[in-house]
Amino acid sequence: MSSIELKTGEKKSGGINKVFSKKTVIGTRVTKPDAPDKATGKTIYINDMVLPRMLYGKILHTDRVHARIISIDTSAAKALPGVHVVLTGEDIPLLKFGTMRDNVPLKAGKVRCIRDEVAAVAAETEQIAAEAIALIKVEYEDLPAVFSPTEALQEGAPVVQEDHPDNRSLAYKFSHGDVAAAEADSDIVLEHEFVVPYVTHCCMGPGCAIADFDSAGKLTIYSQTQYPYNYKMDLAPAIGIHPGDIRVIQPPVGGAFGSKLDVYPFEPICALLSKASGRPVKLTFSREEEFINSPTRQPAEFKIKSGVNKDGTLTFRSVDCLMNNGAYTSWGPTTPIIQMRTFTGHFRVPAVEYNGLAAYTNSVYAGSFRGYGNVQATYVTASVMDMLAEEVGMDPIAFRLKNAQDPGEVTPQGSKLDDCKLKECIEIAAQKTDFLSKHETYAGLCKQPGRIKRGIGIATSIHNAGGAKIHKSDGCGSILKLDDYARATLITGASEIGQGIDAVLTQIVMDELGIPKADVTIVNNDTALGPWDVGVHASRTTFVAGNAALQAARAARKQILDAASKQSNVSAEEMDLRQGHVVQADNGVSIVKLDKLLRQMHFADEPELVMVSEYFEPDSELEDRNHVGNLSATWAHGAYVAEVEVDTETGEVKVTKITAVQDVGRVINRLGIEGQMEGGISVSLGYALSEELLIQDGKVLNPNFRDYKVPTAPETPEIELHFVESDCKASPLGSKGIAELPAIIPAPAIANAVYNAIGIRFFAPPLTPEKVARAIHGATTQ
Amino acid sequence: MIENYSVPSSVAEAAQLLQQGDATIVAGGTDLTPQTEAGARTFASHLVNIQRIEEMRGISTSDGRFRIGGLTTVTEILESKILAEEIPVLVEAADHFASPQIRNAATLAGNLCNASPAGDMCIPLLLLDAEVELASWVDGSVAIRSVPLAEFFTGPGKTVLQAGELLVAVEFRQPAKGFTASFQKSGPRPALEISTVSMGLAAVLQDGLLTGVRIAIGAVAPTPLRATATESTLEGRALDENMISSAVQSVQQEVSPIDDVRASAWYRKHLTGVYIRRALSHVAGN
Amino acid sequence: MSLEIEIGFTLNGRPVKVRVPPTMTAVSMLREKFDLTGGKLACGEGECGACTVKIDNRTINSCLMFAVDCDGREVQTIEGLGSVKGLEIMQQAFVEHGAIQCGYCMPGMIMQARYVVDQNAGNEHKVTRDDIARGLEGNVCRCSGYTKVVDAVAAVVLEEAST
Repeated sequence: MSSIELKTGEKKSGGINKVFSKKTVIGTRVTKPDAPDKATGKTIYINDMVLPRMLYGKILHTDRVHARIISIDTSAAKALPGVHVVLTGEDIPLLKFGTMRDNVPLKAGKVRCIRDEVAAVAAETEQIAAEAIALIKVEYEDLPAVFSPTEALQEGAPVVQEDHPDNRSLAYKFSHGDVAAAEADSDIVLEHEFVVPYVTHCCMGPGCAIADFDSAGKLTIYSQTQYPYNYKMDLAPAIGIHPGDIRVIQPPVGGAFGSKLDVYPFEPICALLSKASGRPVKLTFSREEEFINSPTRQPAEFKIKSGVNKDGTLTFRSVDCLMNNGAYTSWGPTTPIIQMRTFTGHFRVPAVEYNGLAAYTNSVYAGSFRGYGNVQATYVTASVMDMLAEEVGMDPIAFRLKNAQDPGEVTPQGSKLDDCKLKECIEIAAQKTDFLSKHETYAGLCKQPGRIKRGIGIATSIHNAGGAKIHKSDGCGSILKLDDYARATLITGASEIGQGIDAVLTQIVMDELGIPKADVTIVNNDTALGPWDVGVHASRTTFVAGNAALQAARAARKQILDAASKQSNVSAEEMDLRQGHVVQADNGVSIVKLDKLLRQMHFADEPELVMVSEYFEPDSELEDRNHVGNLSATWAHGAYVAEVEVDTETGEVKVTKITAVQDVGRVINRLGIEGQMEGGISVSLGYALSEELLIQDGKVLNPNFRDYKVPTAPETPEIELHFVESDCKASPLGSKGIAELPAIIPAPAIANAVYNAIGIRFFAPPLTPEKVARAIHGATTQ
Repeated sequence: MIENYSVPSSVAEAAQLLQQGDATIVAGGTDLTPQTEAGARTFASHLVNIQRIEEMRGISTSDGRFRIGGLTTVTEILESKILAEEIPVLVEAADHFASPQIRNAATLAGNLCNASPAGDMCIPLLLLDAEVELASWVDGSVAIRSVPLAEFFTGPGKTVLQAGELLVAVEFRQPAKGFTASFQKSGPRPALEISTVSMGLAAVLQDGLLTGVRIAIGAVAPTPLRATATESTLEGRALDENMISSAVQSVQQEVSPIDDVRASAWYRKHLTGVYIRRALSHVAGN
Repeated sequence: MSLEIEIGFTLNGRPVKVRVPPTMTAVSMLREKFDLTGGKLACGEGECGACTVKIDNRTINSCLMFAVDCDGREVQTIEGLGSVKGLEIMQQAFVEHGAIQCGYCMPGMIMQARYVVDQNAGNEHKVTRDDIARGLEGNVCRCSGYTKVVDAVAAVVLEEAST
């Protein structure tokens, strides 16, 4: 926070003028403005909200994975006192929605996966709604089902979506250079297969929506969405109304992590219940419903072929990615857009190709999840990099440094690595952890007797750090106004889901306008007020919304200084705003108090209010048809080192330390960036060691925290963070997006460390104790 | 549908209420609530809250016997100074039990009556040859019968507890001089984990020979298991590598684990071998 | 008419009376009958700790406790930890150390953190970060990664030890 320094200034008309020194808050530790209410339990989350006359909705999910609906008997449910509405797919028109327009809110005729919604109820209490659901009788005729993407693509496989008789969903193809020739010329060619699992977000606030139609047919929806503006566009067809007739209000949410970047059936169902009942309707998932019905991270099977010459130069990389689409298409099968960038552009690989395909099955479907496809790609590439290094007899650091790009290089897909810090990240990570000496020592001890084996491993990756242009605009709007008391309100399109954009934007306004934290209010929870933004995703919010806020704050600052200049004999360039005053920039002497100036401007003969609006569009490109284009205005690298202890008897892996080195452009909020990185590392720790949503024949086997194991405090390793600051030129603020790399890189660093410890490589995370024990003992004990 | 709710303040009062039949007993609620919410159990018409029966709380010793009231919480066991000194294995098991919040609410009687094959508190109590005291109302007064804990469990979620009976306390003799015991539990996290396998082993080590060997294993059979065959293998024998290897083989034959979402039968068997080795080396004092 | 039981207890320092169905959980009673929505129902199985409240000096998962069993007891929720005037020291530490992101788990986490420190107060054994982490093992947080949570609690331990 800025602190006020009082010095004795030059005497003027008998008084003492205050002097204010320049103090920036950028790069300091600023607490989240909403934290005190969250700490005291005052914050009313969407799950806590109750509206007058509100009804409670509940969904009947099917218990089948693929079946024809023969009949649904809702008569007993409708007759239950307290029930207002019972809906089935037969009661509503065909309302197709989703990425591939292959989903509908309530299923009619057929169910295709365990999540399918066959009926919904709105009642006066949650208990009555639950009782009503239990009274609905559905008769099914089971159909042959298919669960694996390989089987789904075979001829004669059961058809999941009638519009896609070959079960093929989205496909991606990219190639650069002559891969076949590169393969023929390579000294060494290695082929590997990896399988990555279903994992789920585990937002602490379970899924919830409150829908409220007014008498004119307009919908207000209280939503957990992370992308309120495009959400209107995606939600509208699922309800059969115009997107312009939807107002989205975003109360505080209990986490999101990418799980709320699409419309999921419970939301239009909630709206349809409100429409049918004429009442506000709230629909909340239980934890079990949340585990079963929320989108997962995209599972996939990878075949990767890589070439290297004896001197350690990478020659080519060829990747096949087969994805289980599930029964409907959300964002999961679109993750190759980001994943491909890592496969084709992480390290200098002259010839690359990528083939991605998603196949419809009767399994559950995936959405986006912090890291967006790059979690999977980085697990694969970082594991392969270590194997290639070993094959050519180089250490993991030297091998990576040899193939790392330099600033100014452009990847085959057109990612411009203008200020590439990859080598710097690797070097710092190696040096801070004493990597090479530990790596060699542990490798030497690997085959010696002993119960506990230690290991160290490194992984690196690249991620979009200046937004990701997947829509025609990747921008964000900002409206900034100052009142007569010099209190600023920033109305931004950026959403707050806990990540801390409230603090970052507050800092930016404080810094440009020289006002204290308490005098800044951020408004960002209502699409009727806020200007457009793509949403909180792709590590983009500090970059895009931060720069939009900066633009607005600079415009307001200019307006203020111009007005001050008119009143004094000082030019705008020679003035600054500090601690609530307009001051002389050179000596900090106050010229006028800011609030006084604002009132003078407001109540002048030609009144002016300080009230500006700005739109920031990052300098990035949409991909062309061949997946080429500089998708993000800037890119960032990270190098993470994991240190582990493996209990070779039980197979338990304990991560003792994670050292993270990341190119962050410029630190804006040190407290926030640390929190983002530590939190991301925890998510990746779960991916590495314990998390897997177990799905058998389309059914979820572990829909609870007992059997789906997210990391807890005692498993959390020591974390050491190093920020590489480059003052990113693509960002007026200097900052890069940071939030996803921490959730991407640790897992393969852990797997590489486990290899260093026990000499066994794991091609399918998570490395559960059982999996590790089986790899060590499986052959001998059974 | 619950028609009656009672809060007895004595065992006698509780036993009379339970004798009327069709009752659900509630204490800490840590197992009952999730089970009823999930529909795995339904409430009887009479809910009897036994939390106010003071005589069912606390840890005491007299005449060389320990008595732990059924309503004693796992935290109270964990914090007990006398248990820490005399029966540390019981404290160790309590330390591995669920989470602090659950330990604060969960009662010993509840954990035993829930009869989970993975129930943590039964493992050390089986080592101690504990008996459970069951109270009921017979002919106008409280009748007590004692059942060895080893005979108490009959299957997953099933015990010999009759309708109308209440588990009042657990009793066991002060262990013999030289008694040592070890508790082993799996899981990368210290607690909040249903045991993949938990094991207890106790014995008196005298002149290098093991006597009074007791082995109890959780989550490898329909009930918490006493590995009696392996106990006999070890009884009166010296602990050397041969003995340990045959104990590992023997105990792995004795368990009959299943594959489930938490672990495979293979892994449970494997862990059983790892744990008996660890437990024996703990008991042998190295 | 389904059965309701009248109970009376002390809630955040004030005596209260309320009628509840016998199987209602404590978390539902606190949220629905008293509008104390700080504690969350986030799993309903005692696996996440978001509903943690203190009953007679012990923290419990209020999603597992029967509301009727609050009768005669002292109940403290997150809303009763601080005062109207301001944040309690543990709440303040969580704010200052940046432990709070989405914050959904935090009312439960803070209640448990306060309990862990209180339990260890006066112990000869110096409380370590590992002790703190173990004390919080029943509380799931998906945002913070726990490091700043433990930082905050460790700071309170130090501060309270020095006063």
